[in-house]
Amino acid sequence: MPRFLKDFLNRNGTGPGLVMLGLVLFWTVGLIILPQLSMLDFSFRPNLPPPEMGGPKDVYTLENYKYLVYGPEGGSQAYNAVDLMVFFRTLVAAVCVTVFNLVLCYPIAYYLGQTKGNHIRVLALMLIIPYWINEILRAFALRIIFGETGVLNTILTGAGLFDTPFDFIRNDYALYAGLGYAYILLMIFPIYNVIESLDHNQIEAARDLGAPWWRIHWRVVIPYAKPGISSGCTMVFMLSAGALAAPQILGGPSSLWFTQLIYQQFNDSSDWPQGAAYAVVLLVTCVLLVLGAMRLFKVNMGDIGK
Amino acid sequence: MNTSLIRVSVWIYLAIFFAYLLGPLVIMSATAFNSPAFPSATPWECLTFDWFSALFQDARILNGIKNSLIIGAGTVVLSVLMGLAGALLLTQIWPKLRATYYTIIIAPILIPGVVLGISTLVFWDRVNRMLGLGPDSALSSGLFLTVIGQSTFIASYCMLVLVARLQRYDVALTEAALDLGATHAQAFRKVLLPFMRPAIASSAVLAFLASFENYNTTTFTFGEYPTLTIELAQKVRYGISPAISSLAFIIVVLTVFAALANEALIRRRELVAAARRKATVAELTGGLKLPGFLSGNTAAVLLVVMGIGTVVVLGTAATYRPDQCIADVREQKRLEAEKRAEELRARRDAERKEKSTAEPAAPAPSTGAGNNSGSFGNVFNPGTLQDGATTPAPDAQGSTGSGGNSGFGGVFDPNALQGSGN
Repeated sequence: MPRFLKDFLNRNGTGPGLVMLGLVLFWTVGLIILPQLSMLDFSFRPNLPPPEMGGPKDVYTLENYKYLVYGPEGGSQAYNAVDLMVFFRTLVAAVCVTVFNLVLCYPIAYYLGQTKGNHIRVLALMLIIPYWINEILRAFALRIIFGETGVLNTILTGAGLFDTPFDFIRNDYALYAGLGYAYILLMIFPIYNVIESLDHNQIEAARDLGAPWWRIHWRVVIPYAKPGISSGCTMVFMLSAGALAAPQILGGPSSLWFTQLIYQQFNDSSDWPQGAAYAVVLLVTCVLLVLGAMRLFKVNMGDIGK
Repeated sequence: MNTSLIRVSVWIYLAIFFAYLLGPLVIMSATAFNSPAFPSATPWECLTFDWFSALFQDARILNGIKNSLIIGAGTVVLSVLMGLAGALLLTQIWPKLRATYYTIIIAPILIPGVVLGISTLVFWDRVNRMLGLGPDSALSSGLFLTVIGQSTFIASYCMLVLVARLQRYDVALTEAALDLGATHAQAFRKVLLPFMRPAIASSAVLAFLASFENYNTTTFTFGEYPTLTIELAQKVRYGISPAISSLAFIIVVLTVFAALANEALIRRRELVAAARRKATVAELTGGLKLPGFLSGNTAAVLLVVMGIGTVVVLGTAATYRPDQCIADVREQKRLEAEKRAEELRARRDAERKEKSTAEPAAPAPSTGAGNNSGSFGNVFNPGTLQDGATTPAPDAQGSTGSGGNSGFGGVFDPNALQGSGN
């Protein structure tokens, strides 16, 4: 028996130690690592009916990935323009949603973190309550507001700004508002946690030395809050790129989100390997983008999730 | 910059922000009490409680709630156990492995839910086949897959909550228990577990909420057991109804209740602690007079007010019948529609007269687009006006251009009501 294992069992007792190790192994290996590897493996296989799996036709192939780039074999177009467009649009929109949320939430997080008083508790409570409501219901609420006969259109046409109702859903404004709305809390809390621990004296000192308010933020608060900002941005970006409910409910009929393509591969055309390949592409691209952004802004992996 | 100006702009910003955050929920709640069949807050027609009874008669929703509760219970047990084990191991793992281990157990939070759902489905499908089990085995049942899929990432949330508390634990306590002759299991159960209890409770609540509202992972794994969220999503995607708003309203109210109750308890504990601190020895020995539940406790006052409000609303709902109001609104709409039809008829009559005088000079081709000319022809037939299906031809192009109107149901189309009103 290896030394560290023996130490571990000595420290925790044989029974509890083994239970603990068993649970952790089940979680890390059985639920996290193996399923991901299995999905990766699956994405390189052709779409076969169950009896033929493991048979002579079950060989590794790049077909599923080729499909994303070049489209169906013998198709009329050189590239799979539809799916690629959806893919890039999803990524760009997710970045936009992230930036929008950061700009919206930073002042709130700063205010909550640096102000003392009883009303802060009330505000924090008001922040958390919407987050307890189901994601679907939140998207539904926005759909009521942005609908053709919804509250917003009634107000805007009533005020004489538009003559005819504006179709927010077809133009995807509802979708962006919905995605931003869904992940506000995930942006605020990491930033708030960090800013709360910033000594107010540092801000006072900068002010006494004559710094204008924007320079105080640029040189003192933001560098200090960087770990919080980066973990908030990472979470919002990953979640909005991987969102499924909001695009299904709030997206326009003509525009798709990449996750919706994956969903269709699984549920409508039941081409699991193809869907798995798309999922792998989404996961790998998102992870690479996040790692790249972290390198760019000089943030460590260990700061994420704090 | 002037400080009072800054203060005002901060408040304005806060007001806008919270309007964005809470406004949709308020409006959605309002639609649960409005009578039109398409959920809308404007125009306000009649106060009604019918959508709530419609909700409670919906078998699919009730079945969804049942499935959600079963899956939630399973997920809570599994993810709290795995989260606790993961957190304990994190505090004593070999330092060189620590970073890798941490990355692995934190990764599920960042992996998109869709990917987790797919990988769970694919992996267990393969395990199932390798074990030679049929498609109806326990391993491919929706309940099992959903619990497993959700626990993958919910355990990470639990781990984060538990590790925060575990870092404040003094290992010397366990060592003392062991020195005094406790077994490891006893030391765990009697020393560590009581210390961890608050964190375990909050991670369990968190896990249940996360499981209850999860959609992305569950949508791939649910199989024969659709949860409430899945049912809701299907309802919202294929035709929405105020019954969903009424469910949302119930959830909002329950949430606010829970939040206020929690807040009131915390405040109460603070007040008690403050009273103890200030109390003199005589007071402590002679029985301390603690502040009442409501004094100085805004949250508790609000809680009681909300409770009374709920009772009043339930009482009203039991006796209130909005039929008269609904009939009134329908009558009014019918009158309006008739008036509009009358106007149209008058206008068309005038047009026809104009046309018939102009016709000899300028013959037919003036109607333009081919398929429109058909409806244009109908205009001259006063009989078609009765069912209000046509609009005057000159407007027809405009109204097809602005499209989607009709997509939101005929509810707001005054002509549609004419049929039901008659």
